[in-house]
Amino acid sequence: MSFLDILRQLAHGVGYTLLVTLACSVTGLLSGLLIAGGRQLGGAASTLLLDVYTYVFRGVPVLVLLFVVYFGLPGLGLTAAPLLAMMLSLGLIAGAYLAEVFRGALASVDAGEILAARASGMTRGQIFRFIELPQMLRFAVPGMVNEFTTVLKYSPFAYTVGLPEVTKEAMSLVATTHRGIEIYLAVGLVYFAIFRLLMVFIRWLERRYEIPGMRPA
Amino acid sequence: MNASPLIEIRQLVTRFGEHTVLNGVDLDLYAGEIKVVMGPSGCGKSTLLRCLNRLVEPSSGLIRFRGQDITAPGTDVRALRQSIGFVFQQFALYRHLTVLDNVSLGLRKLRGLRRAEAEQKALQELDRLEMAGHRDKYPAQLSGGQKQRVAIARALAMDPAVVVFDEPTSALDPVMSREVAALINRLHDEGVTMLCVTHDLVLAQNIADEVIFLDQGRVLAQDSIARLAKDHADPRVRAFFGRDGDKA
Ligand SMILES: Nc1ncnc2c1ncn2[C@@H]1O[C@H](COP(=O)(O)OP(=O)(O)OP(=O)(O)O)[C@@H](O)[C@H]1O
Ligand SMILES: [Mg+2]
Repeated sequence: MSFLDILRQLAHGVGYTLLVTLACSVTGLLSGLLIAGGRQLGGAASTLLLDVYTYVFRGVPVLVLLFVVYFGLPGLGLTAAPLLAMMLSLGLIAGAYLAEVFRGALASVDAGEILAARASGMTRGQIFRFIELPQMLRFAVPGMVNEFTTVLKYSPFAYTVGLPEVTKEAMSLVATTHRGIEIYLAVGLVYFAIFRLLMVFIRWLERRYEIPGMRPA
Repeated sequence: MNASPLIEIRQLVTRFGEHTVLNGVDLDLYAGEIKVVMGPSGCGKSTLLRCLNRLVEPSSGLIRFRGQDITAPGTDVRALRQSIGFVFQQFALYRHLTVLDNVSLGLRKLRGLRRAEAEQKALQELDRLEMAGHRDKYPAQLSGGQKQRVAIARALAMDPAVVVFDEPTSALDPVMSREVAALINRLHDEGVTMLCVTHDLVLAQNIADEVIFLDQGRVLAQDSIARLAKDHADPRVRAFFGRDGDKA
């Protein structure tokens, strides 16, 4: 079995790795945005609630939450498919971290522009939608890249709930061939390639939406 | 000139906690008129402007806008704000939007105009201020004077009943300040009602015959700058406006 054969075998798992990373990143993005928006637009009570939520979810280990969802919830009569279980654990934890990233990015929106928007007669919601959100997303790019990378690096946990992603494929291969060093080296290469691909995509997005004078600090 | 003022301020008091910033301000502004308010830093000039559109809540007193008491409960604050154009010292252009979008955003989102209509109207305003050629630029690509023109176009695009300026030239060099003064004069000739707060004596002299001097929360004097500098009884007023004497 050549190194290329190993890579070819691992490639079977790449689809799942990408799927898990993408699904959890999207879950994180959406829940992070909801939390950021809720915190901006809601009252003191909802802000407190969201702060408690992010505090808790940032503190829970991904694997523990994954097991709670996948192995614990069925005890209450709720079953989650493996991918859904990943989204509800890794995805929501990423969302809690992203909410913090967004909070910081919102703080860098110029108070003068918000005042100008208020003075023009916009509602709180309009100000968020048309002024704060578009600026926040741009300021948050470095933090988002960080978080999506973290999601990719945690995606191997998916094998514990039966998703045959790259790491799982590698473990099966090692079990049959006993060529651990080469195989795990190949795994490393695969993750690095996915990471580079992700970066290329994000740089493209950044350039596509680039605004002069608005680089993240 | 109309019989009743467009804006009528009576005994306006504004407190921030224990700190009384405005302590009984009276001011009338008639349609088509331009008034300039000056005063030492921290005397409450920005606060006065912000009371007009309820960005700051007055503690007591009366503000009538087109005859309506806008401090009354039930006032449609958003409608009020839409009829008062605001121009800020730091321009406050939305940095993620082009010049054209800065001017058309309010028309689309607040007036409900379709994009094409809004952009046409926005372009008219930009053209009026000789900024139409910069329509696709972002704020970071403009000079201070250009930003201020866009900010003024953004205010004018909403067809406000009055435009208020909060130190429109403080962030500009003297040449650009003179341009803004010329622009304000032109708008005055075109019938735009304006209230301008400034530290800039040159600007004040250029755009108005008289200035209102605000100090310690009250209108201390209202007269031409020359007379305030020479003949006013209060030495602090003379010092503020005069070139000689101890500068306030
Ligand atoms: N939201 C606020 N809360 C508490 N105090 C405030 C607030 N806004 C203004 N002040 C205080 O009110 C006073 C007047 O402020 P204001 O900004 O109106 O002054 P100004 O005349 O515009 O000054 P400047 O010339 O420096 O712009 C200042 O002492 C300021 O610290
Ligand atoms: Mg001020």
